[in-house]
Amino acid sequence: MRRLYAVDEAAAALRLYAGQKATDAMALVPELVTADADPAGDAAALAALVHWCVRYSPAVAADAPDGLVMDITGVAHLWGGEATMLDDLLARLASQGIPARAAIAGSVGAAWALARFGRNRTVAETGAEAALLPLLPVAALRLLPADAAQLARLGIARVCQLAQLPRPQVARRFGARVLTRLDQALGRAKEALAFSRPPTPWFTRLAFAEPISAPEDLARVSCDITERLCERLGAEGQGAARFELAFHRLDGRAEVRVVGLSLPGRDARAIARLFAPMLEDVDPGFGIEVVTLAAERVEPTPERQSLLDGDIAPEDGVIPLIDRLANRLGEDRVWRAGAYPSHIPERAVVRRAPFAPDEAQSWSRARPRPVRLLRLPEPIEASALLPDDPPFTFKWRGQVRRVRRAEGPERLAEEWWRRPPGEIGPAHVRDYYRVEDDAGARFWIFRAGLYGGEVTPKWWLHGLG
Amino acid sequence: MTAASRHDRIASLRVEIDALERLGAPRREALAFGDKRIDALLPGGGLALSCWHEFAGAGLDLETCAASAGLVARLVAPLADRGEMVWVLRRDDLHAPGLAGLGLPAERLIQVCARDEAEVMAVMEDALRTPGVAAVVGEADEADLVAGRRLQLACESGAATGFLLRRRPFGGSARARVSASAAATRWRVAPAPSAPTAADDPGLGPARWQLELERCRGGRTGAWIVEAWEEDDAAYPLRLVAELGDRDVATPLRLAG
Repeated sequence: MRRLYAVDEAAAALRLYAGQKATDAMALVPELVTADADPAGDAAALAALVHWCVRYSPAVAADAPDGLVMDITGVAHLWGGEATMLDDLLARLASQGIPARAAIAGSVGAAWALARFGRNRTVAETGAEAALLPLLPVAALRLLPADAAQLARLGIARVCQLAQLPRPQVARRFGARVLTRLDQALGRAKEALAFSRPPTPWFTRLAFAEPISAPEDLARVSCDITERLCERLGAEGQGAARFELAFHRLDGRAEVRVVGLSLPGRDARAIARLFAPMLEDVDPGFGIEVVTLAAERVEPTPERQSLLDGDIAPEDGVIPLIDRLANRLGEDRVWRAGAYPSHIPERAVVRRAPFAPDEAQSWSRARPRPVRLLRLPEPIEASALLPDDPPFTFKWRGQVRRVRRAEGPERLAEEWWRRPPGEIGPAHVRDYYRVEDDAGARFWIFRAGLYGGEVTPKWWLHGLG
Repeated sequence: MTAASRHDRIASLRVEIDALERLGAPRREALAFGDKRIDALLPGGGLALSCWHEFAGAGLDLETCAASAGLVARLVAPLADRGEMVWVLRRDDLHAPGLAGLGLPAERLIQVCARDEAEVMAVMEDALRTPGVAAVVGEADEADLVAGRRLQLACESGAATGFLLRRRPFGGSARARVSASAAATRWRVAPAPSAPTAADDPGLGPARWQLELERCRGGRTGAWIVEAWEEDDAAYPLRLVAELGDRDVATPLRLAG
């Protein structure tokens, strides 16, 4: 049987409700538009919304299926108060086409109840929940449907009626469930939330009695805090590949610097040395009161044994070099070339991280390749005697070159599996020639397309040497 | 003073000066070319290791740096067994399969793309100082005397050999003058027409370069045509094809034929 899964405001105004039989609803409102329920899609959208809400507070928890809870302790002042923060949140959601109700209260249960059953945008002052909740229906207490139905049968419709019942009697009939929910709403019982970003244990902070701002202080502090975290990492045999150092300023902003390692490590001096050049442009503002350091990508890292034969282990030489370069120039500027099984010259090479696990693959030496490959082939004017001949002369960058020796063609067609069938044709064939000019300079040129087609083939220069 | 004692005295002074120049480091190893006609001109009988060497192309090659990169890849290949290799680029156009074709284990080559000239020098220096690095190739417009001296000190403190490829940025103006340099050797590289073994083969033979030793600290200058050995297990990276009397590389060559 098909039932309504959820209804929007217009449908609710027509007295339709979730759980109603679809046929009944269609009979009541013949022009009703329905869409199939998509719980997985809803969950994904909620997860995305939780992620987005991190702009308000770092502690956001999804409350499936249709809500989320945010811990705004100590962040509301950034938005000019709780009420303006709530307005801002709802306005932003509305501009994205998301209808929403929200409330702020001292406990999760009260906020849940007020957002769903109270006046929209209620901001309950601390301790005022007890005054706002009593008139709400008992369903606002997040009860199990069976319990709510049983309470309704007993004639208990509102929270105040439930609160007046003797607690032992309620406990005997319903177990602790109902009382716990009541206590949670009134802020008398604790409640745990699963925030979407679990706090990392690899985190340390240093707070100062007096704000600091001198560059040498920053350098010393970054050494101290790195040592502190690395000591803990070392004690548990762990190493981390990413360190995030944040300087929290008096005005509430944070200056964050990140260092990445190519292999997980915990050498405090080496890590502090990587941070050192980044500290120059840290703007301390009116002063820095707290410094935090978080380690990410933490994994067990064994203690290293020095080599007996006097050889230099990569951990002492090249790996610190790569780390220095990658942190100074950017991670995308240091790489190793890796072979990729493709015959298309541009795709035969991929960039690998310098210490990525080796896939012992090299390039075939049967097909000679140039030393330099132009990122984009450059057009050349070439003349060949016969359709399948290499050109005897060509002009590149304003210089005419006479071809003295040539090898080819090496015909490379596109990778047919990348295009829909029917679009594959000779237009995407390249005939590559290695040619040498009078002076001995070598070029790798190709003709795109075949003679005799609709389009005259064009010549391109793709590589040198 | 007899001729013999004068000879001894000069020799001992040479050793002294040598020691001063090298900060007392032991005698350097050298990468031999395997032919007396080249090795005899170079101090130590080959391309000295723990030094840096400068290579410049001519004409368009000064901009594309293709022939000189091929030659240097050939020279660096024997050093691959000794440690890591670093290639510092300004433009990312090095094609690893091409280097692999010249015998360089290109999948082990660490490539670094620097943002400007000064950074190329800084990265080269850093890499040369790093233990475990055997060879560092850098592409830069020019290394002035100060930068060159710094590179030399970096080579001596590590165990690496530096190769500087002179490469003009695209669209940069041509620099006609050759400035002073602190390099151990300075070479001018130009491609040379190849010659396949079969006379009627229209295809390409092994790559050939016209190599001119323009400046050599403690040695003499010369010019040659060299060819890459086709065999992988060749004892030396390059084979001497011809000795050139004519030092002017700019004029096309009739000798190689």
